[in-house]
Amino acid sequence: MVSVKEDNNVKNILIKSGKIVDPIKRTESVSDIYIKNGIISEIREKIDITGDNIVVINADGYTVSPGFVDMHAHLREPGFEDEETIESGTLAAIKGGITSVACMPNTSPAIDNQSAVRYILEKSKNMACNVFPVAAMTAGCKGINITEIGLLAEAGAIAFSDDGNSVKDSKLMYEIMRYSRQFGIPLILHEEDSSISKSGLVHEGHYSTILGLEGISSLSDDLMIARDIILAARSKARIHITHLSTKNSVKMIKRAKEEGVNITCDVTPHHLFFNDSCLTTFNTSFKVKPPIRSEEDRMALIEGIKGGVIDAIASDHAPHLDTEKNTTFKLASFGTIGLETLFSAAFTKLCIEEKISLPVLINLISASPAAILGIDAGKIEAGKVASITIIDTGAEEVIKKESFISKSKNSAFIGQKLKGKIVCTVSKGKLAYRDKCIKERSIS
Amino acid sequence: MLRKKSIIDTGSLSLEDIDLIFANADSFLEVSERDVKKVPALRGKTIVNLFFEPSTRTRTSFEIAAKRLSADIINFSSSTSSVKKGESVIDTLKTILSMKVDLIVMRHSDSGAVKMAEQFVNVPVINAGDGKHQHPTQALLDLYTIKKIFNKLEGLKVAIIGDFINSRVAKSDIDLFERMGIDVTVVSPAMLLPEDFSRMKVKHSIDDVIEESDIIYVLRMQFERQNRKFYPSIMEYNRFLSLNKDRLLRMKPGSIVMHPGPVNRGIEITDEVMDISGEPGERITIEQQVTNGVAIRMAVLYLILS
Repeated sequence: MVSVKEDNNVKNILIKSGKIVDPIKRTESVSDIYIKNGIISEIREKIDITGDNIVVINADGYTVSPGFVDMHAHLREPGFEDEETIESGTLAAIKGGITSVACMPNTSPAIDNQSAVRYILEKSKNMACNVFPVAAMTAGCKGINITEIGLLAEAGAIAFSDDGNSVKDSKLMYEIMRYSRQFGIPLILHEEDSSISKSGLVHEGHYSTILGLEGISSLSDDLMIARDIILAARSKARIHITHLSTKNSVKMIKRAKEEGVNITCDVTPHHLFFNDSCLTTFNTSFKVKPPIRSEEDRMALIEGIKGGVIDAIASDHAPHLDTEKNTTFKLASFGTIGLETLFSAAFTKLCIEEKISLPVLINLISASPAAILGIDAGKIEAGKVASITIIDTGAEEVIKKESFISKSKNSAFIGQKLKGKIVCTVSKGKLAYRDKCIKERSIS
Repeated sequence: MLRKKSIIDTGSLSLEDIDLIFANADSFLEVSERDVKKVPALRGKTIVNLFFEPSTRTRTSFEIAAKRLSADIINFSSSTSSVKKGESVIDTLKTILSMKVDLIVMRHSDSGAVKMAEQFVNVPVINAGDGKHQHPTQALLDLYTIKKIFNKLEGLKVAIIGDFINSRVAKSDIDLFERMGIDVTVVSPAMLLPEDFSRMKVKHSIDDVIEESDIIYVLRMQFERQNRKFYPSIMEYNRFLSLNKDRLLRMKPGSIVMHPGPVNRGIEITDEVMDISGEPGERITIEQQVTNGVAIRMAVLYLILS
């Protein structure tokens, strides 16, 4: 169980002999890190400090990473507290090594006004990790009226999104882009042409046909991405396309970047991990939006990571109750949880299977999304509040439903054997999470 | 120079025309101060105020100007006319011309409507505002007001705040101001600016200009001319664009506030500022603009018809 409370009084932490990853320089080196009163005070080859109130963590053989940044999660508060709360969501996050979470605004009511932004910030003040509210671009994420982007940014919204929907009205989308540019704030775009996706459930292809499930053509993503690239090129807005799923989207974004469009993008671990052959079991955990697509699409996403087109990996953590998932494929809700498996799923696919280097992966879940959101995170640096994640890259486990901290258990990864395990998380300067194995190796 | 000439846009007015209008306005301003506010300059002339769009102050201003010059002026507005019965603009003009009028003052909600009318009729036409295009007599009275207050024009800094894209006043003012060597900055949010505003000096918040400007020219938020509303809210407007007391007090000594009227209280100018007394209240020159407006329109009518 997560040990937030028991370690709350620990003032000083010494992390010994861990292999520290610098995601920007792409280097790994063994050093000690001393955290005094929550602040990283020293990073040096050998630090020997003894005294009261110090926990010494023996990280020999482990990887020490900047705390992860998840730029796309649904914490469901306010309005859907039976699925997830800011408290349960942040606890799940630190178990996944995530110390900064951007939460999406499609709550009830939506995060489309200053009070709602302040509510999220106030509620998350004493939580296990940092929470950054993303505010809606349109009132209620309904795509009709633009929100008070200036006031919301002042209240603390770090980005704007109508996640779950696309703004259909092209003129409105264009005006939102022009206006957001005034405040230099990114727009996180969920790309879906609802006239294509309509009542579709899964990727439209071989499997949707043989299984008799209504398809969502990849045109749904591609058309909207094409439009928004054109609008962003014209408005010079800062846009971020979230949860890429198609081959064509990688191609279009690559070209847009080459042409100087101010665009970035992310992909989820489940779109990197699975292809639509997983649907044959009719397991509703695989019902997500955008849908898990073909092997050709999945490989294009992996190539997008290798080629540097894709800038971040984000969970799209979407908690749903059992009752919302234990039903027919047609009636089930879209979404999978992902905070707790963000690293291990991506590590298994990218580093173990595809031989992508660990610093590259860590950059995609720390420094790079931090830069996109403009937040001070994703670095291990003296003088900064400690956000550190310790990983046992050699560990391997089969994901079990019971092991999840999240209030909802709808994980697409249940039953998968994943490599790499988060063994300790220091968040907001505090020892926030320790796995059993590291507790046994710690001295206090 | 102005004799028999129409005034459709500020661009057609030469610097000599403007000087002449201002010189005449000076003497007509004096007429308005008299006990008997009338001169026989345009006795026997017939002027029609042809308003296809609602107006109070511009229509009244032209009416008073004409009457002080002893012209006969007839008001024709769309709400009381046969336009409602389906008569076209051209048919209305034909009817009015048949009554042998000497000058038409025209306002219309469509840009270019006054130009179209001018090409059709054989009497001078004064544009009293056409859509989002031009309002030349407003620009003249604004420039005249500035000149009277500052005794100079060149080198002054004016910031035009608000709904630029829908404003005919802004476009008319900027043309005249720039020709006079006044430095113009437009303060407007992206959705109330043209797509490409690279030719203008643009800021997005009134706080960026409030301390350095000689003139804060506040535009009316033209809700009636916005086909679709893209600006988020009045609260957002108040935060970034409205003239409130705090901002008024931060203006530099000797600087002024102008507005073409009618003011949306609580939107572009707060209620508090509108009713403020003492020295800060003296910065607000809206009433002087209206007074000067009559003199400017007298001058224009006189120079065209005499």
